[in-house]
Amino acid sequence: MTGAPVFRSRRSWGANKVRLDMRRRLLGVLCAGLFGCASPSVETTADVGAGLASQASAGAGAGERPDAAPDASYAPYQDKTAFNAAYRRLTESQYRNVIADMFADAVQINARFEPEMREDGLQAIGNRRLSITTSGLEQYYSVARSIAEQVVTNKARDALIGCGADPEAQAAADCATAFIKGRGQQLFRRPLSAPEIEGFVAVWDKARTETGDFDTGVQHALVAMLMSPDFLFRVEAAEPDPAKPGAHRFDAYTIASRLSFVLWDGPPDAALLRAAANGELHDEEGLAAEVERMLASPKLERGVRAFFTDMMQFEAFDTLTKDSLTYPKFSQAVADSAREETLRFLVDHLVARDRDYREVFTSRDTFLNRTLAAVYDVPYASAEPWSRHTFDKDSERSGVLTQVTFLSLFSHPGSSSPTVRGVRLHDIFLCVATPDPPPDVDFSKVQALENGTVRARLIDHMSNTGCSTCHMISDPAGLALEHFDGLGQYRLLENGEVIDVSASIGGQTFSGAQGLGDYLSGHPLVPACLVRKVHAYSVGRTTATDEYALLAKQQEAFAGAGYRMKALYRTILTHPNFLTVRPPEGVPAGPGTTHADTSTRPAASGGGQ
Amino acid sequence: MKLPFAKAAGLALLMAAAHGAASAEWTRTWAIEWYEPAHYYGAETGIIDPGTDCPKGTNPEPDWIGVLKKAGYTEQEALWLRDPSHPYRVPNHGQNQMAFRGEGRANVYVHPELAADPGMQGVTGTIGEGLDLDGDKTNGFVSVDGKTTGIDNQFYRTMGCWKYFRGPPRLSYNAESRNDEMREGRWTVLIVASGEGDDPMNDDKVRVGFYDSTDKLVKDGNGDIATGYTFRIQPHARFEAILEAKTVDGVIVSTSPTKEIWLRDPSYARELQLLQAQLQLTMKDDGSLSGILAGYRPWKRLYQGMVEARGSVIEQLTWAELPGVWNALKRGADYSPDGANGEKTHISFALKIDAVRAYVMTPDASRKVSGVRSYKSEAPPMGPSLHAFFSNRFRVTDGLVPDSDGVILAGPDAPILPPTVTGAELRARLKASAKGAD
Amino acid sequence: MTKRFNRRSILRGAVAGAGVCVGVPALDAFLNGNGSAYADKAALPTRFGTYFWGLGLTDTPLGGSRWVPETVGRGYEATPELISIKHLRHKVSVFSGFRVIGDGKPNVVHWSGHAAILGGEAPARNRVMAGPSFDTAVADALGAGMRFKQVDVAASGGQSACHSTRNGATFATPETTPLELYQRLFGEGFQDPNDPNWTPDPSIVLRRSVLSGIAEQRKALISEVGRSDQLKLDQYFTSLREIEKQLEIQLQRPEPCEACEVPDAPKDLGNSVTIDVVNANSKMLAKLLAMGLACNQTRVFNFVHTPGTSITYIAGEQKTYHQITHDEPTDTTLGYQPKTSELAGLVMGAFGDFLNEMEAIQEGEGTLLDHMLVMAFSDTGYAKIHSLENIPVLFAGGAGGRHIAGQHIASKGEPITRLSLTAQQLVGVPRGEFGMGAMRTSRPVTEVMA
Repeated sequence: MTGAPVFRSRRSWGANKVRLDMRRRLLGVLCAGLFGCASPSVETTADVGAGLASQASAGAGAGERPDAAPDASYAPYQDKTAFNAAYRRLTESQYRNVIADMFADAVQINARFEPEMREDGLQAIGNRRLSITTSGLEQYYSVARSIAEQVVTNKARDALIGCGADPEAQAAADCATAFIKGRGQQLFRRPLSAPEIEGFVAVWDKARTETGDFDTGVQHALVAMLMSPDFLFRVEAAEPDPAKPGAHRFDAYTIASRLSFVLWDGPPDAALLRAAANGELHDEEGLAAEVERMLASPKLERGVRAFFTDMMQFEAFDTLTKDSLTYPKFSQAVADSAREETLRFLVDHLVARDRDYREVFTSRDTFLNRTLAAVYDVPYASAEPWSRHTFDKDSERSGVLTQVTFLSLFSHPGSSSPTVRGVRLHDIFLCVATPDPPPDVDFSKVQALENGTVRARLIDHMSNTGCSTCHMISDPAGLALEHFDGLGQYRLLENGEVIDVSASIGGQTFSGAQGLGDYLSGHPLVPACLVRKVHAYSVGRTTATDEYALLAKQQEAFAGAGYRMKALYRTILTHPNFLTVRPPEGVPAGPGTTHADTSTRPAASGGGQ
Repeated sequence: MKLPFAKAAGLALLMAAAHGAASAEWTRTWAIEWYEPAHYYGAETGIIDPGTDCPKGTNPEPDWIGVLKKAGYTEQEALWLRDPSHPYRVPNHGQNQMAFRGEGRANVYVHPELAADPGMQGVTGTIGEGLDLDGDKTNGFVSVDGKTTGIDNQFYRTMGCWKYFRGPPRLSYNAESRNDEMREGRWTVLIVASGEGDDPMNDDKVRVGFYDSTDKLVKDGNGDIATGYTFRIQPHARFEAILEAKTVDGVIVSTSPTKEIWLRDPSYARELQLLQAQLQLTMKDDGSLSGILAGYRPWKRLYQGMVEARGSVIEQLTWAELPGVWNALKRGADYSPDGANGEKTHISFALKIDAVRAYVMTPDASRKVSGVRSYKSEAPPMGPSLHAFFSNRFRVTDGLVPDSDGVILAGPDAPILPPTVTGAELRARLKASAKGAD
Repeated sequence: MTKRFNRRSILRGAVAGAGVCVGVPALDAFLNGNGSAYADKAALPTRFGTYFWGLGLTDTPLGGSRWVPETVGRGYEATPELISIKHLRHKVSVFSGFRVIGDGKPNVVHWSGHAAILGGEAPARNRVMAGPSFDTAVADALGAGMRFKQVDVAASGGQSACHSTRNGATFATPETTPLELYQRLFGEGFQDPNDPNWTPDPSIVLRRSVLSGIAEQRKALISEVGRSDQLKLDQYFTSLREIEKQLEIQLQRPEPCEACEVPDAPKDLGNSVTIDVVNANSKMLAKLLAMGLACNQTRVFNFVHTPGTSITYIAGEQKTYHQITHDEPTDTTLGYQPKTSELAGLVMGAFGDFLNEMEAIQEGEGTLLDHMLVMAFSDTGYAKIHSLENIPVLFAGGAGGRHIAGQHIASKGEPITRLSLTAQQLVGVPRGEFGMGAMRTSRPVTEVMA
């Protein structure tokens, strides 16, 4: 790192709450001419940082977000006693973790889940739009029946259910009720209400009576719970905020779930539910204590993995293909290993060693297995399946951008792509989106892979099509990574020509992946973007305009804490904003709305009541 | 930070030094991706066509009915033994009764000397591959490029027209089958070369080691063996070979023969002992290694490998009578080691080897090997012999496959029955007969 | 057939989209356009079967093939060894280039191939699989309420010819003669699907009541939420209702199986394994099996034409097919093993006959074949060396409209378990991934999935 300023007007950073969201307007301007590929004259020389800075200093105000809920919609809810603010479908990993936390190894899930949907960079945001189709529910049904069968036929059946297979009448009812209460609380992430318990006990009783078999009753009751929307969706319940008349807050169990699904990618444990029941989560200190406890848990790894799997768009690995003639070393094993490498690296760096997030772009430490070592072309010096590895200095490896994950995911099947890498780098790590190319672009020159280096081909492409506006943003970073081919293997030549990996962004000139890594590690948008994404991931929606100031403060706090991930979680999850209810989208305005009947939902005692 | 230009300029050097420190010592490492007997194919087309090596083409398939009749079976018996509907002509184990065609219906697999030598066509061409093992430039084959004479490869001369070994590179039945097996992970052979000079391409003091590894070869997306994988040396009480050599313009050549080496063998023998071993291996620009490893191998062991792979099956598949193979090897043997009292127990032999660049680690995986040394002292004691090719799948006794009760349903006195008997009846009678013989 | 809204393509688009902004309206993202498919499925069940033949098809050592079509995608040509399915190509997909990745396990010849296809991983040794064969998972999913969860058939004898296992070690015992199969399907215990004394399965009654309970209970509890959440919940309850409906259909007297006609008892052909007898036997077994499927006795089957070490041979000749694959040299002029290829063609002739029997039975607007998926495969690619590369696989039948048949999918050495996964998903087994180690995959071949 040379220390040269990244931004021309760095002073304004952090104070301006709208800057992050200015990107849409900015790019609208930048690419206004692009869609006609007519006039590339508008700020063609502007890099992202400088462009943002100049826009930001030009003033704020606009930045309207079509998907942000206007505050007016809150009005009809103000006099409600309670309502359900959001239903989020459990993700596949969350579903699996709930079952794993309940039954450990006794239950295997071999199932196909419906795909997630990505919105505004995160599946955690798109997730709120998803329901369950018939085929999806069929799969859940099949999984539910399979889980129930595995439970009653398991070697540890008695322990899993809580009594022997053939109890006396009263004991049977007691055992079934206890099972439903206990397992129901784990599945619904809250205690069941009396009517709910009655309902599921009735299911058990009917099945047992008709078949004469206690376990059949247990199976049907468990299937009923597993098919219930209260399990399959995360129901976020709002209640009146006693501190602010007319306003609402999440109820205690919702807070518990929000915390545990962010930090652990799974359900609250018993202690967290107890804290919810005792009202501790509505108490500043109580909440802080629980967050602290959760941050110290080994389950934090699950949460960090889930977050980065989402942020880095790793679901694409399931469908990644490479041309075997060009990249013979690619295989599903390489894809799986690469994903695991990056997650191990991030967990180790950010959780186990609690290091500075910015070093994620410069670290030469990683984890390898034998398969990956062959792709990186280094010896695998371990007899274990995975081992820590530090790349040589002249390997040009520099953090997460030079791992096989990023390099291979964001390339074409038969070649690298500076543009795709640049676009995704901005999207994933800088929160800067790039518009799609216009539909009538002639790509033939870029795709003439047998000719020279991609840099020359892109220059040709840009000069001829006038598409340079966006390429000027996306390509330099990607070109700096060109010493790594479409699988992430090191190379110095392309078609026999020396690859030039110099780049100039924001007036700063550097060379190669390590130069890019240094540049990014000093780029203010990098930590700012992480804050924004962890925040959006945590609240499960796109940041609203009225949250920008808060975000800026959280970014400052992140910097103040030395860019530590755990500190960031602490900042975001203990802030009142995390607990603030925003009314559900598309609220029907005006009269006719009735109160949700949440009376069956047991209120947590204590805590502000 | 290095400039790309400087890097490009140093590219050639960089590639050359890719295998290790460019200090006064160097070590380069590979994994064998294909190896097979060095058999020059003298035809321009096909796999069994007539060529300069074998003007009459590959040895034809014997007339098995005729072979049985010659051994004293009636035509009716011979036809019935060869009929696929014969209940004991098991498709994957062959027809055990085929063994009993020697003098007094002796088992010819175990006693090939008790059978008449049916003869085998040998190579009559002058071109051959291999090394001059005896230093006599006037005997043996001439190399393909005509520059080397005196190439000793009696194994090729005797077996080179046999369908089992004949074919263009990588296409003989033996080479395809055994290498496919290796490439699917059955075994791995590593090669390490190291020298003491500054220039690996020209170094007077070079050592080459061949080692076993339990790390499997990995196929890439095109079915080729992937380069750049890591393999640990597995110290082995038998499979290890160390040879003294030098490099001349990138070609590793022996400076003196090694008295005895052992290798995993790409044939039914499974293990290859070579006496007076020498090599000539070329380090190629792409990092791979290709060449020849040669020496004198014990021919009886090779023959025994065929027998243990189920004599009658091998005869069917390879189109040879095993007594013919035995006699041909015996005739072609050209080396008598110390202690053999002049008996030619060994035959000159050459392996053609292709190896890909690989990382080779010490047995504990902690670091790359530097230099060539013996690891035998670290090896676990030899386990059960590798002799039996199919020992992991089924037993073979005297070249025959017993049934699930351990009974061999064939013998000199076994009833050769007409096809009116059911399988169950035949089984009962054969078993009774076999037990009576005990 | 009506044009269906393709949910999968929308979702795939959303996942693969450039990611700037997904322009899918909220509702579209969870609309299910397959309602008709499910109604259809309920009326005419989907059947599944594996069809195995030994010794692969003929590749040539010089790089050619006697079976892999040159055309990729739709409209592939009938190659010499696939000539018997020429007239049904539009109902058959051909998969080439898939392989078994040993992951350090050696090639157990004539076993590793199909053991990995069925068990999900290369096996450690002969007659053992890494796990249950996946046909049992299909049987669990499709076979509920059937008289037989699955039926196993072997056309060239051999009690150990069957590859279906629930524990990886013990294998199902097949019916090997037409008479055996007849007695199993139509002998004692035959359940006439058109029997007037029909009663619903009480376990399905119970299951339906549990689902109804969820709907009633939960619907009463959730009366008011935001509009988009309301739509989500509506969708969920619609889905729940759909599953209830599927169960209700099973509680109604089934539609008469019009195609079901109990056949006469067949005569056995004797136990010769010459190719003509095996093929004739296979055809009779196929006919009986087709009727067994049409009469709703089972929905899942495993059919073995010849085992891996195929003992079949041409009458009057001395060499068996197995032996010929190994000992026949490649003909220089032709570039392949001619006798081996001839035998492969004869063996595949039986598969053509098999499909003809399935195609001959009319069901609804289509045929039995349209309502089934047959996954046909072998133990090896190039049999001469027991190659685990390029093992031939064919998917035949419409799978109730889910299989986009008539394509040739060419892979370059991808794990063959992708096909096992695809087959399972095509017939509705809830499986997101299949296989272990290097054979693990979560990528079905979506090109053949509607």
